[in-house]
Amino acid sequence: MIDQRVFKFPGVKPAAAIMAVLTVIQAIMIILQAQYLSVAIVHLWKQQPIGTIVAPLAVFAVAFLGRHLLTILKDWLLYPFVEKTTKTLRKQFMAKLFDLGPSVVAEKGTGNVVTMGLEGIDKIQTYLMMIIGKVLDLSITPWLILIYIAMIQWKEALFLLAIYPLIIFFMIILGLAAQAKADKQYAGYQRLSNHFVDTLRGLPTLKQLGLNETYADNVYHVSEDYRKKTMATLTIAMTSTFALDFFTTLSIAIIAVFLGFGLMNSTIQLLPALVILTLAPDYFAPIRNFANDYHATLNGKNALTAVLDVLQRDTPSDRELLPDRDPVWQADDALKFDHVNVGYSADDTTLQDISFDVHGFQKVGIIGASGSGKSTLINTLGGFLSPQTGEINVRGTQVPHLDQKAWQRSFVYIPQAPYLFHASLRDNLAFYSPDADDDAVNAAAAKAGLTDWIATLPDGLNTSIGEGARGVSGGQAQRIALARAFLDDSRRILLFDEPTAHLDIETEVELKQTMLPVFDHHLVFFATHRLHWMNEMDYILVMDHGKIVEQGTPAELQQRDGAYVRLRSEMEGATVK
Amino acid sequence: MKGFFATFKHDHWVMPYLRRYRKLLALVLFLGFMTYFCGAALMFNSGYLISRAATHPYNILMIYVPIVLARAFGIGRPAFRYAERLTSHNWVLRIVSDFRKRLYQAVEKQAVAIRQTHQTGDVLSILAEDIDHIENLYLRTVFPLVIGWLLYLFVVIGIGYFSWPFGLLMLLLLGVIVILMPLLSVAINGRREFQARQVQRQFYTQLTDAVLGLGDWLISGRRHDFLAQQDAPIDEIASLRRADHHFQWWRNFAIQVVFGAAVIFLVWWAGVMFTHNQAEANWVAAFGLALFPTVEPFSEMSQGVSEWPVYRNSIQRVNALDENEPVKVAQTEIGALEELKLDHVHFTYAGAQRQVIDDLSLTLHPGEKLALLGPSGTGKSTLLKLMLGDERPSSGSVTLNGEPIARLQDQRAQLFGVLDQQPYLFNTTVMNNVRLGNLKATDDEVRAAIKAVELDDLIASLPEGYNTEVQEAGSRFSGGERQRLSLARILLQDAPIIILDEPTVSLDPITEQHLLDTVFSVLHDKTIIWVTHHLAGINHVDQVRFIEGGHFDMQGTPDELYRDNARFRSLYDLDRGR
Ligand SMILES: Nc1ncnc2c1ncn2[C@@H]1O[C@H](COP(=O)(O)OP(=O)(O)OP(=O)(O)O)[C@@H](O)[C@H]1O
Ligand SMILES: Nc1ncnc2c1ncn2[C@@H]1O[C@H](COP(=O)(O)OP(=O)(O)OP(=O)(O)O)[C@@H](O)[C@H]1O
Ligand SMILES: [Mg+2]
Ligand SMILES: [Mg+2]
Repeated sequence: MIDQRVFKFPGVKPAAAIMAVLTVIQAIMIILQAQYLSVAIVHLWKQQPIGTIVAPLAVFAVAFLGRHLLTILKDWLLYPFVEKTTKTLRKQFMAKLFDLGPSVVAEKGTGNVVTMGLEGIDKIQTYLMMIIGKVLDLSITPWLILIYIAMIQWKEALFLLAIYPLIIFFMIILGLAAQAKADKQYAGYQRLSNHFVDTLRGLPTLKQLGLNETYADNVYHVSEDYRKKTMATLTIAMTSTFALDFFTTLSIAIIAVFLGFGLMNSTIQLLPALVILTLAPDYFAPIRNFANDYHATLNGKNALTAVLDVLQRDTPSDRELLPDRDPVWQADDALKFDHVNVGYSADDTTLQDISFDVHGFQKVGIIGASGSGKSTLINTLGGFLSPQTGEINVRGTQVPHLDQKAWQRSFVYIPQAPYLFHASLRDNLAFYSPDADDDAVNAAAAKAGLTDWIATLPDGLNTSIGEGARGVSGGQAQRIALARAFLDDSRRILLFDEPTAHLDIETEVELKQTMLPVFDHHLVFFATHRLHWMNEMDYILVMDHGKIVEQGTPAELQQRDGAYVRLRSEMEGATVK
Repeated sequence: MKGFFATFKHDHWVMPYLRRYRKLLALVLFLGFMTYFCGAALMFNSGYLISRAATHPYNILMIYVPIVLARAFGIGRPAFRYAERLTSHNWVLRIVSDFRKRLYQAVEKQAVAIRQTHQTGDVLSILAEDIDHIENLYLRTVFPLVIGWLLYLFVVIGIGYFSWPFGLLMLLLLGVIVILMPLLSVAINGRREFQARQVQRQFYTQLTDAVLGLGDWLISGRRHDFLAQQDAPIDEIASLRRADHHFQWWRNFAIQVVFGAAVIFLVWWAGVMFTHNQAEANWVAAFGLALFPTVEPFSEMSQGVSEWPVYRNSIQRVNALDENEPVKVAQTEIGALEELKLDHVHFTYAGAQRQVIDDLSLTLHPGEKLALLGPSGTGKSTLLKLMLGDERPSSGSVTLNGEPIARLQDQRAQLFGVLDQQPYLFNTTVMNNVRLGNLKATDDEVRAAIKAVELDDLIASLPEGYNTEVQEAGSRFSGGERQRLSLARILLQDAPIIILDEPTVSLDPITEQHLLDTVFSVLHDKTIIWVTHHLAGINHVDQVRFIEGGHFDMQGTPDELYRDNARFRSLYDLDRGR
């Protein structure tokens, strides 16, 4: 009934122990309250003077107050634990998100990840707050009440006891069915938020395809699908509540009738009968409360499963193998890949048998057809993908992957599709080194050829860009990303994945003039389709279908008359044709 | 109160549904009332039953009616409750499902400008939170409140029937629970709940931005900053929630105290009222027990009401969404394309200073092919937006067959096929994605388009083939592969004008050359406007135009330009990697 995982959170056990004690006291209060209310009523029934009920009513009042004060006390005790746990979960979730990176987002979907971290953890909070108290109530209160009733009148107690397993049995059957449905519902929810984010991101494309209006039906279907799944779960949850409600309410009615007969036959007195009648609803209350919130419990449970699934994923270990040193990369350092295989999933390899050897401040060009594995290689160099097999050697240290803390501090990486954040232009430019001052930012922007454009902006560097703010052109977005790289000169390795793809030739040539001097004292990996860059490279890796098919200096490759020469001549042909 | 009415004055998300489903709502309220009525009646009846039985009536028939009633109420309560929950949830979920579609439609109206006007996270929070809130507005506030009041009236009138002064006392005492406490809650706690939601909403926007740019965060290595950015709202929400909970506990306690007092008064009153003879005294237990089942609906009311500010904000937010709809121009239709004409077009972005397009004129006829070149940020994509009618010229006109483009928006999907600079792949299969180009295309046509962009071998090699999921934004594929899948869509389109904004970006020269050949041969009979950054495949077009400083500064056929224009020649050489 209670999720074992709840007990794994630190601090739950002591809180639960104290709460159990309080629940016992509370049950006693409930009994006292029923007892003395009945005493007062019986006095009145016997038509005794009104003064006789003062004392019993006073006890009732005290017990009643005590009972509800204990509720507060229990919440007070539990809440710090719940708050701490949800807060920790949330922070761990964010940290894990950062550590796992975009691959987990690609797998789970943006909408899902975001709602999991916010709504999902809220649901867990509700769940934790509820489940512990309710389960304790369920496992303590009814039994104390039952014992008390048994002391008065064992037959009624037996009836109440007999009906209990039946109720539990129903609960379990229906609970299992509801769980299955709730899983589906949760999947539907994830799908809904993912679908929505996906649709929003693609809305301009939909419009261009003339599908923006038709797509509303699509949204409606996904939403309806979720509604049906929710309703299916709710129906089961409600049916189970109904069954339970039905049995318990009817039991109370039956007890009342039993007691009526007993009273008529004088086998019982009014006072005990009244006490039993007053206690009967409290006997069933815990299980009824439990069932009433069953649906919320299921939601919380599912959210917990989803969050724990992310939290329990492995992140690369051995991140400290590469000794720290300042600067991390120097002119006489070497990096060596030896028969390295890399894949996006365990059962396929995208890069095969990658071996190369670079050192110092070399400029390494990576070329190859679309889909040949350039970005994958750059990702491996950045440590965002771990090799399946093979050896990597940095500065003489053998490492299983490049997700090394020291290494991560040594490079700047411009991905193929950089993201512009919803922030000021300045913050976007200085994203890799937020402490840079305005002069440095302006200098970097100048190197990226953005100065003229910035001058036309009324707010200059303070202009807000990104989603939900001023638009920028494709080439400007790319140059903003490039400027990020120019800003941090302390990092001596540059990983560039098609940094000029969105630029026209003239702009590119201008940029090249400012970029080349920067390259001089850096180890550069430069994946590109613009072959004129190859003239500036010291070493070239030619990729095809995940393999390095040729490597060497431009001159060597020129002589070899292989893939490189073919590419170049094809390119010239392409333009001349 | 003023805020309450103001909220609904211009509302078209909540009220219309209340009006439209009046009868169903009345049913829900009736069922809800009956649930608690039966609960209270059961205890009332049982109290009477055993008291009466305790007087040893000589015949079982004397208590026969209460016995039957006990069973009836016992069955009635759960049955009514079940019916009420089923009806209300079913209804609310249906409305909410409708809301989601409406939300999409409201956002969709701003499709073109969406990247400038909305943040994904913001809209996501409307979906995940606001719509949920409206659902709860019904389930947690409206229904419990009305049912609670009905019950309150019933109890007070019932007691007032026996003794109006005591009825008045109950009116006041229970009034504290059902009227004063809710008002107090909203006054004290409403602000806090509202704040917590504000923070949460902000958190949505910020976290979505961070998740979309997670790759860049990771690369930046600023783990600490990333976490610090998320920590602030986490801590803030936690402390707001804590205060909120503390308030709720004490409020619920206060409600119980008042309720306990009501019970004591009731017993006392019954003691004074019904103790003249035994037959009367039998009613004491009935009154003493009957009140207990009503505590649940009464205490729910305060919480529901204190959430009102949150709901109000959500209602305002969803209403605001479709209020600033762009004004729609009367639409017409044109027949076969004869001419696309830009006449002295000027354009400045709203809120910007620089005039992007400065007195630009251009005429295109069916089948003509135009290449647009120009430095980054000069206004090529802007010009395309003007042609499509996504932006309106500040002065001058864009016309198709003499009709302003703004009047042809309903027809634009039939007129234009567009590949924009940031094409998007949806999180579905390869097949479905490409088919978006033309929903009527057969599987074979889609496969042919994929073959034309030279992805057939790759797709065939994947375990799931054409049913491979491309993942959000196409992240399953490489940059060039994504670009080609988007291009395949265009090849399926059947529109007379095809607009291509850098169709071959991220492609290697060889693939690029093949694709350009394919594109121009598949689309040979169409008018093509092609923005490109370099000169590969330039021989496919009839005219080349360079935009610089907002107007055309070089134009001609590729051959002419090569012959006569030194700048073009130098570009040409640059492009060949010299
Ligand atoms: N997330 C992924 N999961 C599985 N396979 C992937 C994933 N990303 C890329 N691939 C596949 O790996 C291969 C190499 O992709 P990569 O992105 O490295 O190519 P690329 O050389 O950078 O191409 P381009 O020039 O088009 O950017 C491609 O066939 C691609 O389909
Ligand atoms: N929504 C917008 N609001 C304000 N200014 C904009 C907006 N979109 C673009 N701009 C600005 O208008 C100018 C022209 O942009 P446009 O996207 O047309 O350039 P482009 O010629 O397509 O460049 P690229 O080759 O880099 O894609 C740029 O300076 C850009 O910053
Ligand atoms: Mg790539
Ligand atoms: Mg552009």
